[in-house]
Amino acid sequence: MRLAVIVHLLGGIIRIYAVTFAAPILVAAWYGEWRDAYGFLGAGLLTLVIGVVAVRASPGIPDDFRRAEGMAVVSAAWLVVAVLSAIPFVWTGLGPIDALFESMSGLTTTGSTTLVDFSLYGKAFFFWRGLIMWVGGLGVIALFVAVLPRQAIAGRELFFAEAPGPTDEKLTPQLRQTAMALWKLYVGLSAAQVAALLVTGMPLYDAVCNTFATLAAGGFSPHAQSIMGYKNPAAEWVITVFMFLAGANFALQYRVLRGEPGALFCDEEFRAYSGIVVVSSALVAFYLWQAQMPVLAAIRHGAFQVVSILTTTGFASVDFELWSDQPKMVLLALMFIGGCAGSASGGPKVVRHLLVARFTILELARTLHPRAVLPVKLGGRVVPDAVMRAVVVFMLFYLLVFAVCTTIVALLGADLVTAITATIVTLGNTGPGFSRVGPMANFAHLHPLSKIVLTLAMWVGRLELLTVLALLQPGLWRKARWR
Amino acid sequence: MRLIIVGGGEVGHALARALSPDHDVFVIDHNPAVGDRFASLDVEFLPGSGTSLSVLRKAGVERSQLFVACTGQDEVNVVACALANQIGSPETICLVSREDFLGADGGSALLREHFGIDRVLWPEAQLAADIVRIIEAPGAIDAEEFLDGRVRLLEYRLEERSPLCAGPLATMHLPRGALVVAVKRGDQYMIPRGSSRLLPGDKVFLMGHPEPMRMIQSRLVTGRPARDRQSVTIVGGGDVGLRIAQQLDRSPDIDLRVIESNSARGEMLAATLSRALVLNGDGTDLELLEAEEIGRSDVLVSVIDNDERNLFASLIGRQLGVRKIITRVSKAGSLRLFERVGVDVPLSARGAAVASIVYGVKGGRSRLLAVLEEGQAEILELAVPAGFVSTPLMDLQAPPDSIVGAIRRGDEVIVPHGDDRIEGGDTLIVFTTAASADQVRDFFGPPAD
Repeated sequence: MRLAVIVHLLGGIIRIYAVTFAAPILVAAWYGEWRDAYGFLGAGLLTLVIGVVAVRASPGIPDDFRRAEGMAVVSAAWLVVAVLSAIPFVWTGLGPIDALFESMSGLTTTGSTTLVDFSLYGKAFFFWRGLIMWVGGLGVIALFVAVLPRQAIAGRELFFAEAPGPTDEKLTPQLRQTAMALWKLYVGLSAAQVAALLVTGMPLYDAVCNTFATLAAGGFSPHAQSIMGYKNPAAEWVITVFMFLAGANFALQYRVLRGEPGALFCDEEFRAYSGIVVVSSALVAFYLWQAQMPVLAAIRHGAFQVVSILTTTGFASVDFELWSDQPKMVLLALMFIGGCAGSASGGPKVVRHLLVARFTILELARTLHPRAVLPVKLGGRVVPDAVMRAVVVFMLFYLLVFAVCTTIVALLGADLVTAITATIVTLGNTGPGFSRVGPMANFAHLHPLSKIVLTLAMWVGRLELLTVLALLQPGLWRKARWR
Repeated sequence: MRLIIVGGGEVGHALARALSPDHDVFVIDHNPAVGDRFASLDVEFLPGSGTSLSVLRKAGVERSQLFVACTGQDEVNVVACALANQIGSPETICLVSREDFLGADGGSALLREHFGIDRVLWPEAQLAADIVRIIEAPGAIDAEEFLDGRVRLLEYRLEERSPLCAGPLATMHLPRGALVVAVKRGDQYMIPRGSSRLLPGDKVFLMGHPEPMRMIQSRLVTGRPARDRQSVTIVGGGDVGLRIAQQLDRSPDIDLRVIESNSARGEMLAATLSRALVLNGDGTDLELLEAEEIGRSDVLVSVIDNDERNLFASLIGRQLGVRKIITRVSKAGSLRLFERVGVDVPLSARGAAVASIVYGVKGGRSRLLAVLEEGQAEILELAVPAGFVSTPLMDLQAPPDSIVGAIRRGDEVIVPHGDDRIEGGDTLIVFTTAASADQVRDFFGPPAD
């Protein structure tokens, strides 16, 4: 563990990230929000200076970049970037803990908010909230890798540490091209969604901000009542479709666009994901229809809410806190699943559930046939033992972190449903939960310590636990030195 | 005719024995000790490598007419054939045991084009295909296909309750397009007539179009309705076992188990097969076989590369109550022994390869399609000369113990009765005992060329 290497890379990432501050400055200037513009300008300059100083103060990247250093860089980058992104929120009047919560929630595409009164903040504020979400959707490192070709080896370690799904999907032999391809797809999908939303009659500003939140599977809307506030069924369908895409594997979508139409539908994870969406939507729609909602509205809200929660977006087309317990139970179950690996969504991901389910079934079969050779397969290929072990360990850690955080939040005064859902929606980067953290409520009333714990949960959850948790091993730090 | 055989193993020895009485046979093997086995035969044994130019020249490759490479190593066989083809121009036959050289489509065309190999034989693949055919015909002890699958031959042992034993054959009302071509009672073959009666324990050979054969299969022979699900256990996941498993794995009506003792190989099998249950253990481990209820399998296929272990696994299977046992036998001489101790279908991969090579040397206007009952009976394809005068089948002075099972005329395939006619240009599929085979072959006179 060489701290100089970490600082150097961190500086490089921060320096590039500083550029994103330019966008809200322009928006603030356009709407005449000069005070906010100064805030963004100051934060942007500070970020740039920190980045440049860090790069200058440390030597260049050695050839023998290490795995642990990669994990440290990625973990630290997300934390530091979240802190820097929180500066404009503090400038506009949020308390530091709430500002960090809000900024981490945006960057990790969670969508949980501490804002109580939306009318206090300007256009640039909400634009910034959406923009960091959009960048976080594909990833800070993915941005870095796409822009900087130089750190070839380091880039590889960083790229996979940021999105350590069980399957490494690479589109091209060169990592930089892969990152570029993903960004192109991401930008293309975003443009398509903005256009579609404009057609449904949504104003440009709202269309852009909501698109940022949709494709990142984030869920921050500039409207206090989320998507429900627009009362626009066509827009709800558009957003449902794009949320569904945001929760599907981007690499596979790219291959579909490049002339491999079967790439998505042949993928077992995508099929399972689609199956979950269809079955859960039907279930929720049925319960809503039973509760006297008109059929079409029940189908629309059922599909919207199921896709929103499963992809960990967290938009609300209706205040589902008011629903009966049956459809809410369906949503609660979905919070533990998440979207596909290689997508913008959070949570444990469909593929991990798929693998663990198969593993369990095969272990059951083994009790009958103790001598049988029973490898876990995915898409006709055997999943190596090492990957399977990592998946099982991930799931166990996920439950452990969930249990610990829930306990802390509950002990600090939240009621049980609030504690459970607040933890799972932050750890899984979903957004709104039930009860006092429901879709029309917020997280501001929680104990400050709870908010810090949940902020960490978002951070750990976005990096899929192991990247961060691996750094907690004392042996790693005992040998730490400057270079 | 001068023949050169590279490789003095099982195949080489059987070939030399069959061909040495009529031809000049040279056998090349790198192991001089092998020469002792050929001492009793009238052949010339040359110690040395089949890929050595000097050894090949010593055997007189440039003057030879047939060159067979049958060592245990595919690469050696291919290179030896290529060299022989460069020096002289014999007909080259190359035996392979792995998929490598034939794997891709047109593999044998590639070998012909670039290495000058006229015929590639892959006995193990043939064996696997034979076994799959037999498994897919439940109850049958042998199953063959001719004319691209348009004619099937099935061999059954009649059981006590079989409706076919109820009366004279003429009263059996066999479905149209199917024929009882032969009956084997004890060691005697007979060609049945309408008045013949079949007895339980007889082996009957039926030939016909696939559809009526399917009807016969379920109804007439076993006297039991056909079961829709079969459970099959394969002992030994080697090349042959894997090929069989891959083909059976596709069929949803077959519950498949593969027992393989090598754990790494077992993992590879489990990765390749999607539905089969792969068990890591010894096929002769009674405890494992009992725990997995192997005795309830419909078919046990034992294809380990070792005759003794195959026999042992088969006998255990029989003891546990498996209904049908198919076993691979390497030493052609052991076939009858295997059958006597209770193996239903002993099959030798190399035996079939040897038979087809020997038959090719004899030549004529006929082709050997299949060898039945360890060589006691044969299925031949016979070309009728163009000038042949149209004759009803019953007026044909056919050799004894032979029968025409199918006629192909243009695109049509006829399963004939006595009043069907044979015309010039027809292709006949003929069942014959080995004793009458020579007569059948020469029935239409010597070959046209």
